Amino acid sequence: MNKIVAMAAKDIHILFRDKLGFFFTIFFPLMMAIFFGAMFAGLSRGPASIPIALVDADRTAGSARFVGRLEAAGGLAIERIPADQALEQVRRGQTAVLVTLRPGFGAALDNPFVATPEVEMSVDPTQFAAAGMVRGVLLEAAGAELQAFMSDPSRMSVTNEQNRRLIEQFSPPSEARDDLLNVLDQIPRIPVLIDEVGLGSVTTGATGGFGPPLEIEQTQVQAQRRGPTNSYATSFAQAMLWTLIGGSVSFSMSIAIERSRGTLMRLLVAPITARQLLAAKGLACLGATLFTSSALITLGITVFDVTPTSYPLLALALLCGSICFCGIMMVLSVIGRTEQAAAGVGWGIALPFTMLGGGMVPLFLMPEWMQTLGNVSPMKWTLMAYEGAIWRGFTLSEMLLPCAVLVAIGVVAFSIGATRLRWDTG
Amino acid sequence: MLVFDHVSKCFGDLRAVDDLSFELEAGEVFGLLGPNGAGKTTAINMAVGLFEPDEGVVRFADEAFDRNPRDAENRRSLGLAPQSIALYEQISGADNLRFFGRLHGLRGTDLEERVAACLDFADLTDVGKKVVSKYSGGMQRRLNLAVAIIHDPELVLLDEPTVGVDPQSRNAIFERVEQLRDGGKQVVYTTHYMEEAQRLCDRVAIIDHGRLMALDTVPALIAAHGGPGNLEVWTGDGESRHETTDPLATLADLQARQAVDHFQYLPPDLETVFLNLTGRALRD
Repeated sequence: MNKIVAMAAKDIHILFRDKLGFFFTIFFPLMMAIFFGAMFAGLSRGPASIPIALVDADRTAGSARFVGRLEAAGGLAIERIPADQALEQVRRGQTAVLVTLRPGFGAALDNPFVATPEVEMSVDPTQFAAAGMVRGVLLEAAGAELQAFMSDPSRMSVTNEQNRRLIEQFSPPSEARDDLLNVLDQIPRIPVLIDEVGLGSVTTGATGGFGPPLEIEQTQVQAQRRGPTNSYATSFAQAMLWTLIGGSVSFSMSIAIERSRGTLMRLLVAPITARQLLAAKGLACLGATLFTSSALITLGITVFDVTPTSYPLLALALLCGSICFCGIMMVLSVIGRTEQAAAGVGWGIALPFTMLGGGMVPLFLMPEWMQTLGNVSPMKWTLMAYEGAIWRGFTLSEMLLPCAVLVAIGVVAFSIGATRLRWDTG
Repeated sequence: MLVFDHVSKCFGDLRAVDDLSFELEAGEVFGLLGPNGAGKTTAINMAVGLFEPDEGVVRFADEAFDRNPRDAENRRSLGLAPQSIALYEQISGADNLRFFGRLHGLRGTDLEERVAACLDFADLTDVGKKVVSKYSGGMQRRLNLAVAIIHDPELVLLDEPTVGVDPQSRNAIFERVEQLRDGGKQVVYTTHYMEEAQRLCDRVAIIDHGRLMALDTVPALIAAHGGPGNLEVWTGDGESRHETTDPLATLADLQARQAVDHFQYLPPDLETVFLNLTGRALRD
């Protein structure tokens, strides 16, 4: 055991003395965390197409018409699912926004003079940009609905007649009541009058003079349930993933370097077994990645106000992530036999998998088939485990799936790497 | 004691070592002399257990039993200085020694004493705490050799230890090999430099294309395979060269016929031995 620890300590010592290795293992991820954390904190632009869950709690012709407008508007991939299921999806980060059309929505849409249709948006707090875009699409659809109403004298006449009956039924006679009834009489003539004076050709919409076409109440799903304190909670999770990638690539290179410099021959000639050598490499990689990812999140907690929802689960996620990438390191070592090849192959494989796993571009921006494909990426499961412990508020049972996947990948990859690794020195 | 008993090793169609047999004697420096690609490093790799012979046996013959170098525990008794400088450049010379010492089971004061002794052996005591990347080529070569003996092995294998070093550093390495011999170590020394084998080795095995061509002491090899020496003489008629096994008699005979202005005698050496055995020069 002493020999294994000595070899692992030597590898870790060398890793931290190697400027390039240090850069990719600590500095680069830290810079990413700070940069993207700061960027997401002030980001207000939305993506081009966003998957949302939609619940029509009104179930009227008006609400159905509005949903039709949303679907026709483009930019949103709408999934109609039950409210509780939709909320769970948002909480898990699988859907950016849940839009609920509240009861009375259709009636308000058809009578804009007396009520404003109400929508509730339940938002994943890390998806502010997406939420902003959804809000825009909702307002656009509501504006279009109002414009259609204002352009249709027959619809306005029907609505006016309903309002007149309500006023006459519930409001006692007064000068104000008479004035209001007179105005109502004139409203159906508005489109005709606009045409007569030619105003239609210079106006851009028909919402002027009215309040906002839609009342949107936005709630943060995670804010109700242990959400992240700030955008650094997500950027540090991604940064921790990058330290794992950097560490595993560096260690896979270290085996190639040992081979090319002849130190591997020295190790093999020493009174140690190949199994001890493997154990030392694994232990070094595990220790280094565990240390660097822990150091990063500690920095996030102490300096950037990141508040994990569960420290024990965070420790579990850190351990499982490191185990996974320890195995990946071993596979990379097999593929790249020289220092340059190990580096090229390591980053060449890591980058696409990281993209696929949401390490660079959020998963919701990807097509559905690509999101499904992302399940093969260890990076996706690592992020899920980290985020689950840092801000998604996963329970132990929810954490088991990503952790089990990570450990399984780690064990299988390490076994494959260990059996295929050639301890030759040439 | 290292024994090669009819050992062969193939890599695909290439027979790198072909029926090689020899046995080291106590306290000797044993040379493996041959051109590049002769099979020297393959033989070394089998001696330290990195390769398994396809045919024959490599063993450490002990009084009580034969030990297989492929068993990790048996490797405590051997030390290897590979042809490449096999050191961790990012850590200090002392830390390199400490690390490999720990792998050989050294701990505490024993380890520190051996580290100090090896730094002294390599004349690196003053720079022991410097990282290896700051060392000169010669210093790295000496440390490469020192690491091989950190655990005080019985047998030291030096694979082309002077490759790429300047003459001064080469001499420093020669002195350390002689120190090892004086300290009672068995040393296997591979080289393609005839001068090194001639200076350092008690016995030399000449190998070519994996086959053992001859094995003996240097004088015996020269006597058996060196052939006549060359006597070069300059007279009034110009320069002439004469093969001879008795240069004095040949010179006297020449002087009887014509006045010799000056002469030079080139005795046979391992280069001529190799030439006579293989039909080509060592550096071909």
